[in-house]
Amino acid sequence: MQKLGDYKLPQFFNYPPYFTLQPVRDTREKQVQLWKEMIVDYCRTQKIFVIGLEDDFPLFSNPVIQRFLSHEAREVFLSALVSDGRAEWLDKGHRKCLILWHRIQDWAEIVLQFVKDNGLEDSVMTVEEIRSGIESRGTELHGVDRTILMRALKLLENKGKLAIFKGTSADDEGVKFSV
Amino acid sequence: MRRRPGIGGLQTAAAARDQYRLLGENVAKLRTDLMKEQLATFRAQLEDFARKHKNDIRKNPAFRSQFHEMCAKVGVDPLASNKGFWAELLGIGDFYYEIGVQIVDICLATRPHNGGLINLQELCNLLRQRRKSDREAVSEDDCLRAISKLKVLGSGFEVISVGKKKLVRSVPTELNKDHNEILELAQAQGFVTVDEVEKQLVWTSGRAIDALDTLLEDGLAMIDDGHRDGKRRYWFPCVVHLSQYEFSLTYVET
Repeated sequence: MQKLGDYKLPQFFNYPPYFTLQPVRDTREKQVQLWKEMIVDYCRTQKIFVIGLEDDFPLFSNPVIQRFLSHEAREVFLSALVSDGRAEWLDKGHRKCLILWHRIQDWAEIVLQFVKDNGLEDSVMTVEEIRSGIESRGTELHGVDRTILMRALKLLENKGKLAIFKGTSADDEGVKFSV
Repeated sequence: MRRRPGIGGLQTAAAARDQYRLLGENVAKLRTDLMKEQLATFRAQLEDFARKHKNDIRKNPAFRSQFHEMCAKVGVDPLASNKGFWAELLGIGDFYYEIGVQIVDICLATRPHNGGLINLQELCNLLRQRRKSDREAVSEDDCLRAISKLKVLGSGFEVISVGKKKLVRSVPTELNKDHNEILELAQAQGFVTVDEVEKQLVWTSGRAIDALDTLLEDGLAMIDDGHRDGKRRYWFPCVVHLSQYEFSLTYVET
């Protein structure tokens, strides 16, 4: 199997027609399904959170068979992920896409688990510490996209599990847990 | 017997005919009886053989295939019923039933990709992958037998020949001669272009496009507009071109 870094590419990736948007409905459905799964899978293993449509995202082309996805195809596949709730457009022009290989609710759960694992039930922490502090090392929170983290935290805030407040520096926020 | 004219003569002739007829019938009966006896002997010997070589029949696909041929010659079908002597002795009724179910499964799973037409070789490979843990090996012959049993159930399965290859069809889509020729042409590279079809098969552009569009609509072909020469290619997943495009279809559930 071909690999991209340490990621094992599914075999459809080497079949040229999959890089052309198929006109026949059933075939198209299958095609979209395969691409959706691969994109989410790849992002999860490589910890990629944002895909830019104009970028040189490795999955958008396969030099071995000399094929690449048209802009339209990229948008179709990513839009399908958005419809599934596994991605969100970050801009109206659909140029940047946030990939939710964990849904926001799942990230919220991960934060809660993180709090419990580290005995932070009544503590205070900055947002930056949550995603890059020592405790985060080895967890999925390490290096998580800030937008995603904020969304997860807001979700938890709505549930009364924590409170977000402005920190000392201009652009860093803090969190008081009350789990 | 001297032929006598008149009614008496006719009666004698009729009696003679009757006698000949009876004789003929007796001879025929004798022959039939003899044949029945021979067949009964054949069958008994076949049963004996099957008993002795039960393991070989189970384990060895080539042996199994020859055994089937022998049975066919004598008019015995070990798969005719799941009950009865043969099924019990060999237990192979279940074997083919199992394969049949797995084949149906594989065809259904791969249908979105190949439109319901799959290369027999590929089908066998997928079958073998699925049965990795089973002790009994499966040959293409076994697949064909299982499929012929499926046909009897009226499940719409059919094996068709395209060029040198055999394809298993699991959808009602009929392939006409034009489609068949395109599939055969596609075996060389796994795809065809409209130009190629026109040139190689000596067709009009309309005929080529018509046939290709139908194959596309039926899900048997996929388009590829990504080549730098700008020519649209029609790929046929059911025609496996043995190269880097060979699929093992990892998304088939096991």
